[in-house]
Amino acid sequence: MLDGLVITRRFDTPAWLSALVFLAGIAAGLAMATALLVAIGVPASALFDEVIGEAFMTASGLAQTLTFATPLICVGLSAAVALRLRFWNIGIEGQLWLGALGATAVALGDFGPEATRLPLMLLAAALAGAAWIALPLVLKLRLGVNEVITTLLLGSIAFLFAQHLLFGAWRDPATGFPISLAFDASERLAALGFGRTHLGLPIALAAALLVWFLVDVTRLGFYGRAVGENIEAARAAGVPVIAVTCAFVLLSGALSGLAGGLIVAGTEHRMSLTLGAGYTFSGIVIAFLGRFRPLATVVVAVIIGGVFTASDVFKVFYGISEAVVVLLQGLVLFGVLVAQFFGAYRISRANWGTTP
Amino acid sequence: MSGFLVGWLAAIPAYAAPLLLAALGLILSERAGVLNLSAEGVMAIGAMTGAAVVLSGIAPTLGILAGVAAGAGLSLVFAIVVVVFRGDQTLAGLTTVAVGIGLAGVLGRDFVQKPFPGIERFGADAAPASNAFERFFLQQDPLVLVALALVVAVWWFLERTRAGLQLRAVGEDPGTADVAGVDVQLVRIAAVVAAGALCGLSGAYLSVAASHVWVEGMIAGRGWIAVALVIFARWDARRALLGALIFGAAEALGPRLQAVGAPVPTYLMMMLPYALTLAVLVLSSLVGRRGTDEPAALGSIYLRQDKS
Repeated sequence: MLDGLVITRRFDTPAWLSALVFLAGIAAGLAMATALLVAIGVPASALFDEVIGEAFMTASGLAQTLTFATPLICVGLSAAVALRLRFWNIGIEGQLWLGALGATAVALGDFGPEATRLPLMLLAAALAGAAWIALPLVLKLRLGVNEVITTLLLGSIAFLFAQHLLFGAWRDPATGFPISLAFDASERLAALGFGRTHLGLPIALAAALLVWFLVDVTRLGFYGRAVGENIEAARAAGVPVIAVTCAFVLLSGALSGLAGGLIVAGTEHRMSLTLGAGYTFSGIVIAFLGRFRPLATVVVAVIIGGVFTASDVFKVFYGISEAVVVLLQGLVLFGVLVAQFFGAYRISRANWGTTP
Repeated sequence: MSGFLVGWLAAIPAYAAPLLLAALGLILSERAGVLNLSAEGVMAIGAMTGAAVVLSGIAPTLGILAGVAAGAGLSLVFAIVVVVFRGDQTLAGLTTVAVGIGLAGVLGRDFVQKPFPGIERFGADAAPASNAFERFFLQQDPLVLVALALVVAVWWFLERTRAGLQLRAVGEDPGTADVAGVDVQLVRIAAVVAAGALCGLSGAYLSVAASHVWVEGMIAGRGWIAVALVIFARWDARRALLGALIFGAAEALGPRLQAVGAPVPTYLMMMLPYALTLAVLVLSSLVGRRGTDEPAALGSIYLRQDKS
């Protein structure tokens, strides 16, 4: 197939071409999503009004967008940090569940004085998330087991564990639903006075700054780039590959755990089984569209947060399932995947007769 | 006690069949060297399409076939992205899951939670069972038999036919297969589309045969279990049957125990498939079996110029 064309890997993709194909891919994905939504009966003008107008230009919409963006920033950073080392963290949701459970355990168990309760909850969330990625990390480093599968499996196990607790010991006895007791006032992140936004937003932004500092400024970040580019060369050059891998991957797990902690402490104020779905894919999409750069990740997370806000409007006015958010992210990523081919490869007509 | 046992055993095939069908498909794809994480999304589109077709007044059998076609169609997109456009297989697989779940949710909004007459069990309008064997058999449906036949078919195809040999060659050493005159890209696309057809069948089984209704999120992680099952089975169709029965038995046990009022940690038991797969992964790397079972070129991008 395609024998008439010769495809060669480009030695070096110029920056302008890389940017061009990237933007073209995003545009193609958005065009596909728009065409689909119009085809099922959403007027094209409404699309623009809801996404740009409602999600970013009104105060209530923007507040909702930023509330959605808070955990998205964390999972986007989590995916970006791991992917910098070409470590596929497909278990972001699992670490997020563990983080939410960790924070909830501290809150329900009333550990420590009230003044330090919240910091302790978020610390527990980050540690639980890091602990949940430790096994895939060890298996990869010691036995060479593919992390794609192990993180994925542990993600499913984490969700079942959350169900075990919420249908069992942690269930709020007053309701029949699988939710925990509501947190006390001292266990809730303070509201910022702008819609439902809460202290989690500055915390997520601080996390982004910290990650930027670690991976773009420090020596650890330099080592990380070396390991991500070429692990053998890095090892030969004396980079402590194992230590660097551990640092990046555990940081990735901690960030996903923190996302879970921020959701329960900031938005939900209790543990539930609906709070974590879809974050793995969103995190990976955000990391890819942000080109694995921590600060760009923040921008993309806010945009995806806006898509979540717009989806709420679509659901109310047009009866469209929230699956539209997943679909949009998927189509955009398909667009980028295909477009990147044209940046990474040179395509020329076969000329078998004359080439030696 | 024997009543409970027969009830449990009779329930296993309906749990095992969708896992088995999807895993057989993924085995075809991965033996051709294409890492396939797309099952959850392909099953979602298959389940929705099957239900939508039957709800439009068309026969359940054709509904199943429509689910198969929808699964194959979505997988063709995945195949083109990874084979022709050399997209990263992990990322493209996750993206296909998102697109499948998203499309099913958006296109299926008019079909949610509407019961319909689907494929019936053998015992639907038969006399009550008189012995344990009949009790078991009447609980099954035609697609369970189809799934069993497909185990034999997939195994036979991979191990005993020329096309199967070519498919395995592409998954082990695409460069050599290319030199031998095998069209690597075509084989990989065909394998991925076949995988999509089987995952679509698996999804349509869930809506049209097992539950006679469609709801969003009905796949509920079964696609991921199928991905795990392939590794548990170490890419072998016969071991996939064994694994699907074990995983299906674990899944079926919880509801049966609850039905007789026994207090059971249902969700801890449902971890069993994942925990077993982790154990298989760890054990097989500990004893160094990994290299002999996993297709050598799994997940790799084939480019003719890369041949050295």
